[in-house]
Amino acid sequence: MDNVTGAAAALANQLNFEELVREHERMVFSIAHHFLQNAAAAEEVAQDVFLELFRSLSKLESTAHATFWLRRVACHRSIDYARRNKNFAAEVSWDELPEHRREGGQLPASSDPLLSDRLRRVIAALPDKMRMVVILRYQEDAGLEEIARAMKIPLNTVKSTLHRAHAVLREKIGTSLGEANP
Amino acid sequence: MTELERELKKALRRVDPPAGFADRVLARAANQGKPAAQPSAWFEGFGLRWALTCALCAVLAWGLAYHHEREKRGEQAKERLMLALRITSSKLQIATQIMQEMNSPEPRQP
Repeated sequence: MDNVTGAAAALANQLNFEELVREHERMVFSIAHHFLQNAAAAEEVAQDVFLELFRSLSKLESTAHATFWLRRVACHRSIDYARRNKNFAAEVSWDELPEHRREGGQLPASSDPLLSDRLRRVIAALPDKMRMVVILRYQEDAGLEEIARAMKIPLNTVKSTLHRAHAVLREKIGTSLGEANP
Repeated sequence: MTELERELKKALRRVDPPAGFADRVLARAANQGKPAAQPSAWFEGFGLRWALTCALCAVLAWGLAYHHEREKRGEQAKERLMLALRITSSKLQIATQIMQEMNSPEPRQP
């Protein structure tokens, strides 16, 4: 009995909670913030994620496992939060966003300082799952398989969701952004 | 990488949490007490054995009660059957007696 307790305590010490919080606070907060587009809600979700980590510390095998676990739980808790607080989800209505119009052949320049804001608004209006796939892909630089595992969805669903997200974003922002640079 | 992807990376750069975020998390965690490792280990070691023993006792008690109830019901059914057989038997005896009386010759008048 003492051996079991000792082993669990040793593992808990090995994964130092404070270090994990300080190392991953930006990742967890950013996932929630980009998903919910609200700092107060993002903090609430991020704090809950870390407290869940605190309670589950003994189940985690390594720091890599803890990183994956935090990313996965941050995804799910953000989606849950948006679903529980419907007023929160998609403050920007999808139909309210005008489609990009070419004006005299001008396309949004990549240096346009407003482009990032506009992109974030368009992303905020995407459906939950699609929004989270985009956030994991471009905020976290996650691979497709990693996204599939984190969101517990099939790999092909990730691929098709990302493909659709690109199409939607191109439509709303501008077609030139979809083209590969030489 | 396409231009769109580059812009997405730019737009979705990680952001800093509000000042004091980690401290607030640590304070909340401290209020919650020790990490789950302790209760989990306790449960796996000492508590789990007790839980299993209690569950086994409950199953045994339920099994005995169920067995007793079935036996009781069997006895009751057996008694009811015996009663029915006794009633049937007495009715048959009465019917046989009546038939015999009807078939027997009437006594002659002196």
